[in-house]
Amino acid sequence: MCECLTSSLTTVDLSRMLMENMNSSADSTSPASMALYTVMYPVFNQLEKDDTSSAAQTLKAAFIKAEKHSPGLTQQILLKIMQKENIQVNYHECLLRMASEEFEALMIDRKEPEFQSLNKKAHALKRVLSTIPDEILDKVRFLQTIKDIAGAIKELLDTVNAIFKMPQYQNKRAMEQKKEFVKCSKNFSDTLKVYFKDGKVVNVFASANRLTHQTSMILLAFKSNA
Amino acid sequence: MDDDVKKVKKPGLVSPFKRVFLKGEKGRDKKAQEKATERRALHTFSLSQPDHRIDPDILLNDYIEKEVKYLGQLTSVPGYLNPSSRTEVLQLIDNARRSHQLAGQLTSEQDAVVSLSAYNIKLVWRDGEDIILRVPIHDIAAVSYIRDDSLHLVVLKTAQESGGSPCPSSCPDLNKSQTLSSLSESGGVLVEVCCLLVLAVDNKAAAEELCLLLSQVFQIVYTESTIDFLDRAIFDGATTPIRHLSLCSDDSSSKVDIKEAFEADINTFPFQDSVEAEGNSPLASTPTSPQTKPASEGELSTTAAELLQDYMTTLRTKLSSQEIQQFATLLREYRNGASIHEFCINLRQLYGDSRKFLLLGLRAFIPEKDSQHFENFLETIGVKDGRGIITDSFGRYRRTASSASDSTTNGNGAAGGSEDSAASDEGQETSEGDEWDRMITDISNDIEALGCSMDQEAVTP
Repeated sequence: MCECLTSSLTTVDLSRMLMENMNSSADSTSPASMALYTVMYPVFNQLEKDDTSSAAQTLKAAFIKAEKHSPGLTQQILLKIMQKENIQVNYHECLLRMASEEFEALMIDRKEPEFQSLNKKAHALKRVLSTIPDEILDKVRFLQTIKDIAGAIKELLDTVNAIFKMPQYQNKRAMEQKKEFVKCSKNFSDTLKVYFKDGKVVNVFASANRLTHQTSMILLAFKSNA
Repeated sequence: MDDDVKKVKKPGLVSPFKRVFLKGEKGRDKKAQEKATERRALHTFSLSQPDHRIDPDILLNDYIEKEVKYLGQLTSVPGYLNPSSRTEVLQLIDNARRSHQLAGQLTSEQDAVVSLSAYNIKLVWRDGEDIILRVPIHDIAAVSYIRDDSLHLVVLKTAQESGGSPCPSSCPDLNKSQTLSSLSESGGVLVEVCCLLVLAVDNKAAAEELCLLLSQVFQIVYTESTIDFLDRAIFDGATTPIRHLSLCSDDSSSKVDIKEAFEADINTFPFQDSVEAEGNSPLASTPTSPQTKPASEGELSTTAAELLQDYMTTLRTKLSSQEIQQFATLLREYRNGASIHEFCINLRQLYGDSRKFLLLGLRAFIPEKDSQHFENFLETIGVKDGRGIITDSFGRYRRTASSASDSTTNGNGAAGGSEDSAASDEGQETSEGDEWDRMITDISNDIEALGCSMDQEAVTP
């Protein structure tokens, strides 16, 4: 029970940290915090399973606190580790592949069907974005992936708009976050146009990561109003 | 042996018939040669080998011509024809040649020029340049190369109604038979049909070149269309209103909200600020803080400004400065009394096929009394149904015709309300209509100014 409580507390801490960063960060489009919840969280979860002491949880809490005070720190640590270990992988690509993982901290925990639908639509978008690294080199399949992404974006926005129609769910922060999401989506579209000219896949990965991050921020924005 | 070498052909008597025949043949050859020298040079480019790559800009902004022989076009071909089945295709072609639907012998009479761009394939006769047919790229389903002994055939499988332009909005009740894939009855069963356009080229290299060029066109077109599809999805989701912006909604509370929204946001409309500031891109400007108001009304008030801002932003990215000014002119004409029909047709011409989805964004700005015509128009040009290369499966909502008075004006501020309007609502509706007019007039001015500012940016070094 103690472990569950500690685990849920750190989940709350992560949500709170992300929300506070969302409020205070001048550049809310930065996905720097993705390194923490996308890469480190699965690592911590694995450590917690193997580690009977509370060391893993302490480490997790420390990372959350450090990231809160210094956004982007986790990403820097990861990049340094990769450099030191001479790990020859593309960071943005790895991050994107892991984007479809679901985290309790980033989901809306309300039971109403509209919010559950929003969770699903957000996850669907992140899932299709995470397939980009596998599809991008096959032009025909990549075009189909883009169509799927378009459909997922539309469904997510429709769900958000449907929630906004209900007076009891008016949420200024969520509306602002929706605007950010739309901007990020347009940026993603522009990045694709450039990609079809210059062929630089890493830019697409980075832009897709920003979009997955904004998707998570939409969920957080509604969560914060719950 | 020496005798053989020394032997000289004695000129013998030539049959008069032979003489005439030979003279005729020589004359024809001479004419053909003269014709060949008279023919204009083709508009062509050197292609990189071995994949015959061409600069995409040429296909987008220019065109390339290739010489072919036009054997003919077969119509009402079953749509299930497998274009990669040599047997099936040749069977059709052989039957057609036997029944003289296609040319049998290949002569200079079949000489034609195929002009290829990202928009269409155009076929004209080599001599005289009379147009044979034009096929939009999105009507081409497949391209096949078949070598039949010495014959090198390039066969295009196309839609039955190929080359048809969208039905004008004067016939809003579009007959479904004018769709891309026409249907014909065959023994009581509806069968999808298509056309086969049969061309012949000189050799395998020419056939492969033509096929690869078409492949590149498909890549460009489908890539562009896919990105446009994505843009549409974003635009549609971003601009879906919370409530209808039409002022004839039966919900009086929404009328009040909309009125307050316009009043609140008229001073924060970003383009007024961005146009006045020197060197500032409207895209970089952000709206000022919304005025303090109750949370629900404030949130609703951002919707109108959001929609307008989004549409203006999109226009800037999709239209040139001249086109933006043309758009402003059309909008002004519409506001000053031009018919919705004229407005739609002119806009459609302005946007063209590749940008017709921009019409969707105008939905919120069309007065209720014209909305039905506008929705019908969207449907006829395939924006609503998603006709074209990529099907839009989103489905679009229809605004229900309201029985309430239509206070939205379209003219010189004169109320165009229905005679059924309640007297007690007239005052409020008229002022809301005035507010609407002012908003749209401001938009028109800002759009024109946006066009001018883009011109200035272009001129300034």
